[in-house]
Amino acid sequence: MSEIIVVTSGKGGVGKTTTTANLGTGLASFGHKVVLVDADIGLRNLDVVMGLENRIVYDITDVTEGHCRLRQALIKDKRYEGLFLLPAAQTKDKTAVSPDQMKKLCADLAQEFEYVLIDCPAGIEQGFRNAIAGAQKAIVVTTPEVAAVRDADRVIGLLEAAELRNPALIINRIRPKMVRHGDMMGIEDIIDILAVDLLGVVPEDEQVVISTNRGEAVVCDERSRSGQAYRNIVRRIKGEAVPMMNLDDSGIFSRLRRIIGLR
Amino acid sequence: MFYGEWNNDGFFRELLTVTPETKNNARELWLKKVRRPKEIDEMIDDNTILVRRTLRSGQKIHFDGNVVIVGDVNPGAEIVASGHIIVLGTLRGVVHAGASGDEQAAVLAFRLQPTQLRIANHITRPPDDESTGPEQPEIARIKDNVVTIEVFQSSDRSGNLI
Repeated sequence: MSEIIVVTSGKGGVGKTTTTANLGTGLASFGHKVVLVDADIGLRNLDVVMGLENRIVYDITDVTEGHCRLRQALIKDKRYEGLFLLPAAQTKDKTAVSPDQMKKLCADLAQEFEYVLIDCPAGIEQGFRNAIAGAQKAIVVTTPEVAAVRDADRVIGLLEAAELRNPALIINRIRPKMVRHGDMMGIEDIIDILAVDLLGVVPEDEQVVISTNRGEAVVCDERSRSGQAYRNIVRRIKGEAVPMMNLDDSGIFSRLRRIIGLR
Repeated sequence: MFYGEWNNDGFFRELLTVTPETKNNARELWLKKVRRPKEIDEMIDDNTILVRRTLRSGQKIHFDGNVVIVGDVNPGAEIVASGHIIVLGTLRGVVHAGASGDEQAAVLAFRLQPTQLRIANHITRPPDDESTGPEQPEIARIKDNVVTIEVFQSSDRSGNLI
């Protein structure tokens, strides 16, 4: 039984692509067959984040227009056997694909893969409608900022209208210290507004920038906190009950644990 | 028929295109409609376009002939040409020379750092380690059925450069 999950947010820059790449890589590291679909036609990024840009020959519009077979457009990951990418087109725009074509494409991919993860473009226009057309589940990514939460709320409403009920929420780039000082929205504040299930919280981490620029996924980094957060989310997607990570790293014990490498 | 005139120094000046703008300009320069001399005719390749700007991500040139870019080709930009591709700048995007099957086509760039380089039905990409090539013009073409990249030697007078 396969799952088709769209990763969306409304607002740009909150980490949809990073999240898609990390969840996909994480699921593949557990041995699952995973395909990542970049639905951001015209502004594709997922290939760059995955470090697969120079392998692209055919893209999603070549598949929908029948220039190539689906198999030919899929790019195998450098690291994991079961991980594939279907890249977006860069020289076209969102109108190059229709929601019906996306539905068919997702159904075809679901025949072969256990997880189909769709990286949605920012915004709520046609690109968004295309991205969600074939999905069965949705993950909404937000950051602890008023604007991002507002957009996430709007998107959750649109998802519900499109029969994608009860999306799961990922809060990205949280800074526990700022939350503690009351300078940043906390997890509870966000859940209060959005009233959806929390799938995970990813702390702000410089390591994300470093691995993203290298075309690697931080989820593979055993030592980074954001990588740990993504691994937990991956296990929750797989259906395991994993307790939320303790983000409070200021206590003497967690500091000590960090120093001796047990974090 | 083209617009042109002979200069005093015996040099032939002409305007190559026949768009309405060119016709207008030619009229203003008092250029006459003339038949092009045969030796110049032989030198001219009508099938080349000159692009005088940098191609950015998402911009694409698809042309049946040669393409010359005066500027850079950034990652995410794409050039598909049935002939040669020459970049007077840094080539970082995707290029496809000889796209209709011409194995003689070449790609030449001041700095050749393409995301992916295709000639006819050959597809190549740079190695995964991040070593950059030499800081000088390079040319890519098919030799013995493999895409080969060499430093461009303009002093090589053995024949056609590309």
